[in-house]
Formats: sequence, C-alpha cells, structure tokens
Amino acid sequence: MPDLQIKATINGRKVARSAKPHQRLLDFLRDDLNLTGNKEGCGAGECGTCSVFVDGVLMKSCLLPVAKAQGTAIETVEGLARGGELSVLQKAFHKAGASQCGYCIPGMVMAATAALRANPFADREEIKERLGGNICRCTGYQKIFDAVELARDVQNGRLPATALSEQEHAEGDFIGKNVRRIDAPSKVSGKLRYAGDMIMPGMLHVQVLRSPHAHARILSIDTSAAEAMDGVEGVITCTDVPGEDGFGVFVHDQPVMARGKVRYVGEAVAAVAAEDPVTARRAVAAIKVVYELLPAVFDAEEAMRSGAPVLHDYAPDNITKHIPIRVGDVEAGFAAADLVLEENYSTQAIEHAYLEPEAGLAYVDHDGVVTVVSPSQNITHHRHMLAKIIAKPISKVSFIMSPVGGGFGGKEDMIYQGMLALLAMKTDRPVRLVFTREESMASTAKRHPSRTTLRMGFTREGRILASHLTMICDGGAYGLSTEGVMRKAAILGAGPYAIPNVRVDTYGIYTNNTPSGAFRSFGALQTQFATESTLDMAAERLGLDPFVIRRINAFQDGGTTHTKQRLGKVSLTRVLDALEQGSGWEQGVPAVRGGARSDLGRSDVRPAVSLGARFAAHDKQEAAE
Amino acid sequence: MLICDEYITPDTLSDAFAAMERHRGRYRVVAGCTDTLPWAREGRAGDVEIPVLIDVSKIPELSERRVDGAHVRLGAATPVQRFLDDAVLGRTMPAMPRCAVWFADDQIRAHATVGGNIVNASPAADLTPCLIAHEAAVELATANGRRSLALREFTLGPGKTALQDGELVTAVVCDALPGYGGSFEKVGHRRSLVISTVCLAVLVKLDAAGRVFEDVRLAIAGVCPVPRRLTEIEQALRGVRLSSAKLEEVADMPLDVVQSRTRQEYRRDVVRGFLMRGLINAAKRAGADPTALPQDFETTYA
Repeated sequence: MPDLQIKATINGRKVARSAKPHQRLLDFLRDDLNLTGNKEGCGAGECGTCSVFVDGVLMKSCLLPVAKAQGTAIETVEGLARGGELSVLQKAFHKAGASQCGYCIPGMVMAATAALRANPFADREEIKERLGGNICRCTGYQKIFDAVELARDVQNGRLPATALSEQEHAEGDFIGKNVRRIDAPSKVSGKLRYAGDMIMPGMLHVQVLRSPHAHARILSIDTSAAEAMDGVEGVITCTDVPGEDGFGVFVHDQPVMARGKVRYVGEAVAAVAAEDPVTARRAVAAIKVVYELLPAVFDAEEAMRSGAPVLHDYAPDNITKHIPIRVGDVEAGFAAADLVLEENYSTQAIEHAYLEPEAGLAYVDHDGVVTVVSPSQNITHHRHMLAKIIAKPISKVSFIMSPVGGGFGGKEDMIYQGMLALLAMKTDRPVRLVFTREESMASTAKRHPSRTTLRMGFTREGRILASHLTMICDGGAYGLSTEGVMRKAAILGAGPYAIPNVRVDTYGIYTNNTPSGAFRSFGALQTQFATESTLDMAAERLGLDPFVIRRINAFQDGGTTHTKQRLGKVSLTRVLDALEQGSGWEQGVPAVRGGARSDLGRSDVRPAVSLGARFAAHDKQEAAE
Repeated sequence: MLICDEYITPDTLSDAFAAMERHRGRYRVVAGCTDTLPWAREGRAGDVEIPVLIDVSKIPELSERRVDGAHVRLGAATPVQRFLDDAVLGRTMPAMPRCAVWFADDQIRAHATVGGNIVNASPAADLTPCLIAHEAAVELATANGRRSLALREFTLGPGKTALQDGELVTAVVCDALPGYGGSFEKVGHRRSLVISTVCLAVLVKLDAAGRVFEDVRLAIAGVCPVPRRLTEIEQALRGVRLSSAKLEEVADMPLDVVQSRTRQEYRRDVVRGFLMRGLINAAKRAGADPTALPQDFETTYA
C-alpha cells in the first residue's frame, strides 16, 4: 500500500506529510492536521460543512481524494481570521446573529467568502444562489443572508466599519435589541470543537454493527473473527452489559444493543473499538450474526389489531401510551351545532437532519469515573440511566455535554452513549464514535408519523361547540419520548380555543419502524395540523375570514383549558393581529385566494423558485442590445 | 467508505493506459470523484475496496477545450464550471451556462467533469440533454487507437454505456452553435444539489428578422431511461413563424416521453410547461422580434 507524499501549502504554511491513498482531503485536514473547523455533515457533498479553497476555488473536501491536494494551495476556515482577527464576513456573521448551533457556520463563512470574491456586488438573490451548496437547519438562512449583505456593504464602503459593532443598549435591556451571542466568535472561526472533533491520546475508533432486519430473533453472535483482527481492541454485545439493560425517556424498553431480538432496521447489535476507523469497519463486517426472521408490522393501525406481531412482551397490545381527555359531552355539542365537519389527516415521519451527526467520546478517568462526552440534550437523565446499566454508583458516572450541532429533540435519546461507556470500560482506553449521516438517518428517532380523525361542530357564527379528535401515532420499535409526545399532542391538540365539549384520544403504538421520538413542537404539530386545517375549512363553509373564526374562539385572559389549566394573560389575539398585519393578509373567506390573489407580482411577495440570478445583469444587457 | 491501496495520478494519456494495463481488472478510472465518493457509502455500494484508482483529471489533453470551425471540442476532464466562466463556451454552446447553473452547486461544478457526467449515465444527467442537442460525439481512446461514437449511441441505459474495457473517454465533440438562443429548464425537490425530476434543453435559431425558426433543438432528461431529443417537435417548428398559437400547438403534441416510475402525470404537466417556457426563453435570447409574442403570453409561461 504505497502511501502518498502530499506537499501542499495550507493556510500559507508549507506542509509535507504522508497520507493514506484512500484518505479524502477532509480526513487529511481533520485527522492529520487537526484542522477541525472543517466539519463532516454528510460525507456526500450535500451539505457544505467541509468547504475549503483549493487554489482559490471553493470545493467540498469530502469529495476530494487527498491526492488532488498535491501541489495546491489550500485555505480553510482557520486561515480566514488572520492573526486572530475575524474577517469582515466573520464579524458580520457575529453581528447578524447568523450562527446558532454553529455546525454549518464555518462552511457557510467559506461559501460566503467565495460568493463575495466571485462578485463583490452580488445581490441577495445571487448570494442565495452562490450559497446553494451549503445547508443550515437552525437559522432559516435569513440571518446568514443578512450577514453576507452586511459584509458586502462594509467591504464596498457603502456602510462604515462601525456597522459591524454591537448595537448599544442599556444594561439589562435586551428585548428587540441586537445582542451579541457570546459563543459566535468560536463558531464563525471554526475553533469550537464538537464531540466528533475531540481527540484524546490513545483514543480508539468505534463502529457499530446494525440490524439488517426489521424483526428477527438473534440465534447467535460470533465475534471471534473480529476479535482476532490486528488493531481490534474490544468487541461488545448485550452480554457485556453488567447492570439493568434498558433506557428510554419514559419507559426503559431499549437495550444498549439488541438483546434476544432486533426490532428495527438499523438497531445496534454489536460494537467494535479499534486503532483506526477502517479496521473497526472491517471488524464489524467480520461479526457473524444468525437471525431467525419474525413477522413484522409496519403500520400503527395494523399493530393495534389482535393477532398482530408483538414487539415487547410487556405491551401485548403494542400500545406504548394512550392519553384520553374528556370534557363535557361532545355528542350534545354536535347535536346543537349548525355545521359539523369530519376529516382525516396524516403526517409523515421527519428526520431532524441536524448538521452534526451523533458523535461521542468516552473514557474511564483516574478515579474510575466512567465519563461520556456527547451532544446529549438530556445528560442528567442519561447519567442516571447509565449508572444502572453499568451497575456503578452515580458518583462513578459522569456526562459532559459537548456543543450540540443541532438537536431539535433528536439528541434526547441515549442511543449510543451506553456502547461508548462499555467499550471504554472494556478496553480501558478512550473511545470515540462518529456516526455517518446515513447511520444517523437510519438509527435515530424521527418525528411521529400520525393519522388523525377530527370531528368539529360549529355554530353559524363560527363558535366551536365540540371537538372530537383521535390520533394514532407510529412510535416505532422503542418508546423513547412517545409517552410525552402523546401527552403534549392531547394537551395542545384542540388548539388555543375555548371549546365546551372536548374528547381527545392519542395513541403511541409500537411498530417495527425506526423509533419515533422528540422533535420540535413535540406532538402539537400533528394534532394542531388537523385542528387548524379544519378551522380553515369551517371558515370557508361559514363565509368567515380565517382570522375572524380564530378570534371568535380564542382563549381569553383568565380562561381555563380543557385540561383545567388556568390561564393568566393570553397573547393569542395580539399574535393574530401581528400575523395578519405582517403577512399582508387579504381579508375574506379562504376561497378568495389562490389564482385570484392580488399580491402576486408585488415586490414583497416571493416569486416562483428559479436559478440564474447571476445572469440577471447579462440578460439586461442582451435586452438593451 | 471508498478504500484503495494505490491512487495514481498520471500526467499523460500513455501513462494512464500503462497504469490501466498494469492493473487490469483491479482499477477504476476517476476524474472529479464527485459521483464515486458518494457512491461508496451505506445505502448505495456500501464500503468498497478498489485496489487502484487512476485519476485522469491531471492529464493536460483531457482539460483542453477549443473551437474548431463548426465544432467545439471539450476535453473529457473539463469541469462543468467552465461553461459559466469561459465566454467562448457560453457563446458557442448557448444553453450550457443555463444548464450548468442548475448542475449540483458552484463547488461541485469546480471539479465534476463533462466526461464523468456522461460515463455515469444517469437518466437525470443534466449535461447529456444539452450535449445531444449539440449532436455530441464521444471520443474514445485505447492505448492503440481512437474511435468516435454519437453520444446518443454511447448512452445505453441507466448507468450503462458503450465504454469498453481498457477504453477512456478523452473528449466530447459538439456542434458549435453561435447565434442560437439557449435555455435550460429544470425542476427537482429544491434549487441546488438536486436531481432533475424533469429537465429540458432548448436551442433556437431564428431568421434575421427574429420571426421564423430556422433551427430548433430540444432534448429532455429525467423522464426516460436515457435523455432523448424531441425530434417531432423540432420538425414541426423548423421553417415556421414564431407565434403563440404555434407554441401552444407543439406543446400539446402527444408525446410518449414520460416513462418514469413515479409521478407521470405531474411530469407530463411539467414537460408541457417547460416546452412553452423553454421555447419562449430561447427565442428571446435568439433575438426574437419583441412583437412576435403577446406580452401576457410571456408572463404566463416564461
């Protein structure tokens, strides 16, 4: 295996080092040169967290074999802040509040730098287009575009350099003010280290064997070939768990690695710690598992029928959680109603797709404390669960929360921290696991897919008399946050409206799909989608403006919710007012909009999606000729 | 993960052929690598171990591009971004800049190559419809000689080409079409980094008055196993006056092009809209008489 001898100039310094022929430029920068401002968000050229300049041209370093760097001059995000002073663009990102989780930000800063180098006068549309190869999941992009426009104007002298300074505000006066995020400089400079960027001396690399089957009994696991490989330091399966093997946010129904059977495709079955990731991957491939396939169920309603495959012995009906709420008499409400609408709604699974794939590092410290560093959104609970799993007193278990490169609820579950702890204990060396994007997609929680049937009764004037909602959610193979999501869905599902008669049933169901878990809005989305959609349909049938029907029913100060919560001040009406004004709402029943919209073509209305902003000047010139 | 024991970057074609001969049966030729690296990942090929990778992108001949009378010769390793920053290519291949701007993103275009796009033979390849509208011929070389094959015959099906063992794509030779107006219409699930659900390349030449179609070339991709020309419509427009009635007539011609596995009805609607929009845009860029089409017609479709 002839190594490559790479000679290149990196951030102005000459580098001459050998590299493995299969390494990508990204690996070389991160693993060999410790330039971890270059992130790996996807490894497939889709996200732009790894963008670097190669001879002045921006490229994605995950798509470049390191051999392509031979003889080139490379500039990474670490090279932008010369002498430690942030570049104009980096300062503008700080000023505009353009960094949130920060994981996409080094790549964004690089793409923005490239955009303004290509056209120092690029308008917002062209900036959007030139940043098209970089993905952000937190900001909604607007603050990023604001930052690039701000930098452009400062660079071109249209704005003074002071435009980059913090806005003055009185001590303690923050609302509505431009307040600096104190962590932004570490993010715009690429200096902040996420778990996957951290290294420890003697650290091993972890890879996980995952189930190819949705539902199967494990007859045997043979790890002998993997253990015999050079460079493999530890292999674990469920037999390595010394304590009570179970975790979950509400019910501890998930083993650290599959125990007895697998319940979804992607479930962890075994894990390997080795001297390098390639050896770890080869070792994982050498583990032999014999499965006996079991009938599987992939639909929540089918899973509720008698005779359906059962996932967990403790729940023979496959119900993870049922939340019922009863207020008044819905049938009496429907009988008194002038209009009754009934509709079915469904929503799909959604992946959080935070730019930082799951990663973690674990070690046993000098006092025997098992320490796990990971972007966990729930470290205290993880610590308590892990203590039981590894049968140690809580004082011998420590969790450190690394910067979270986007979570949105998806990092609440202790999916991999248990394996890390066990491998650190077994090998007595630090271990690190970094998920691939595909692994993250396949094995971690999703938003609950749902089916909702909603019946609502209204008076002629638009007042809601009754709401009867039944939602069935696919919770997937393990409980995770399902119970909480069902509660929230039931509590918030009827909407912020005073309704005298309410009947709600939400069900979280076990299936052999990827587990569902926490995701922003936590159940409210699914049920409120049904309620709000029905309100729009009712508005149309009753000849009311959608804002009007909501104001008629809105909770008022001092009201009581259908779960008997007393409300102090209610801001809903003010929110509706602001929304109506801010959106340029055209008043009337919903049916007046659509093709007849008078706002299409107005300067503040977004045109249809297209590309080619960079041709605009060219087209004008052609037209003039 | 793509694992190799050796990564060779030859400087000359003869070195490349020598390496191919030396490692026969154990190598894969790469150029931009923008398809190869994502291919070797979970969900697609998984971990792939290829003993030798031969990177042909540094061979000077493969990056040459020149206009040779009636033809444009593109070295196979020409990065796609050149269609956006080389004015000569923009002038002689007028739909190409519009196509390139929709191709992946600026960063991937910087090293994704023309040759790679056609060898990859995706049914949704963005460059291929443009190239076949230029009557592109693929130049194939071995250590012993060269042959040329029309791109339409080179592309056999999804992922399948006429490339033989030991052969390299060295160049693509296209009709130079200065004076044509070009457009490229594409839709996918988002703007950048997106695989075409439908894409359409349009090249139009009008008479001096900007009223009569002298030549029309249309090619579509994303809806059939290999990109194809829409010759029926091309023929119906050649020599005909530009008018809204004629455009509507050809857009409504019954075409049996949509063979996709999914969303056929949607794609048929898009094809109709793209034909209208693409022909209007290309005609305008070809210098159409501004009075040839009613204003509201343009606002509706283009």
